[in-house]
Amino acid sequence: MSEDAPRTSKLSFALGIVNGLIGDHLARTDNELAFDMAVMSKGVRVPLDTESLRALHPDATSRVCVLLHGLMNTEEAFFSGDCEDYGARMQRDFGITPYYVRYNSGLPIPQNGAAFARLLTDLVAAHPVPVTEVLLVGYSMGGLVARSACHIAAEESLAWLPLVRRAIYVGTPHRGAPMERAGRVLTRLLAAIPDPYTHLIADIANLRSDGIKDLGDADVTDKDRARRLPRFSLRDEKHPVALLPQVEHFLVCASVSEDPQLAMWFGDVMVPVHSGSFDTITEKAHLALPQDNVKYLPGLSHVALPCHDRVWETIREFLGRPLPETETP
Amino acid sequence: MSSLKLVRGVRKLLTDAVEHGSRAVETIQLETAKRPFTVLEAISPIAVPAKTVHVFHDAVVNATHASIRGVNGVVGVALDAAIDLAEKAKPE
Repeated sequence: MSEDAPRTSKLSFALGIVNGLIGDHLARTDNELAFDMAVMSKGVRVPLDTESLRALHPDATSRVCVLLHGLMNTEEAFFSGDCEDYGARMQRDFGITPYYVRYNSGLPIPQNGAAFARLLTDLVAAHPVPVTEVLLVGYSMGGLVARSACHIAAEESLAWLPLVRRAIYVGTPHRGAPMERAGRVLTRLLAAIPDPYTHLIADIANLRSDGIKDLGDADVTDKDRARRLPRFSLRDEKHPVALLPQVEHFLVCASVSEDPQLAMWFGDVMVPVHSGSFDTITEKAHLALPQDNVKYLPGLSHVALPCHDRVWETIREFLGRPLPETETP
Repeated sequence: MSSLKLVRGVRKLLTDAVEHGSRAVETIQLETAKRPFTVLEAISPIAVPAKTVHVFHDAVVNATHASIRGVNGVVGVALDAAIDLAEKAKPE
């Protein structure tokens, strides 16, 4: 593909939506429309071998960044705004080599996490120069997929985990998405009414993918999913799954409204501020996350987050800090 | 993604939609009809003819939807065959 090929396409956009909506069904039925997890460049899958990665990044550095898109997106979401994409800026300002990953966002988050853990193993092995740092950047659901992969890597002692010193989450619903939880309760209510029409509506609503359902409580591990019981409660009290302590986490959340109360409830329309900030910006603040590592951006919607100058400014400030002192890999 | 792969995926998705849609509508029709038939079948003088009509109605609904799904399956197979031919005819 030529250098000036378009970075986004209507087809990818449509397929991203279809994958997010019913991607689990597509995968179950071996449908060709289902995405496999892959590193992508300009809409084309990049094989994970050293030659291909060298061709993609002739000036590859030892610091690698992997960007994960959100629900019903493709990696093209990072190129959707008017601004320059985060990966290109990281490369220019910090010498970090970016990789964009595409995945089927309709699959369960732990399943995508497992696939991402495998992909990172292959990517680190095939990267043209020895990797000294892997920076994870997840937008929306992508942040949960990254967290899921890290949990799997910790359980299986995967070699790349010590390379992950920092992770950035942009608009990630760490404490779940209330809209999905409300939808879940509504469909259960409709299914409980002994009427064929309400059953039909409930059945249609239940066609939504496992990925969407996992967003309700931010289920990042298989244990979380197994715990999902048929009940009407709005919150899984066993959550949240803790962030890995060996990684420095940086959270960016936003709200459309600048009114504090509206911001807390509705956030960026998709993710409330308390969820995007992992409850750091609430009176609970039960998480020992430094306030410096949580940035709240009023006046931004969820769809603006993957490519916006204000978000980049916070990321740049975070990346400009010295690396956390951890055991060297 | 190649065009033919895309067409094959869309074909599968459409036949899946017809299959599941047909089953959903069939269930709705059977369940909706069941209510008045249950009332009629409880009235002694017309219970037997009502039951007969109910069985006949359900059989017609089942047969109609089975034929929709059958034709859908045949169309799917025919389209797959056409896509296979197009793939073979495609220059390397």
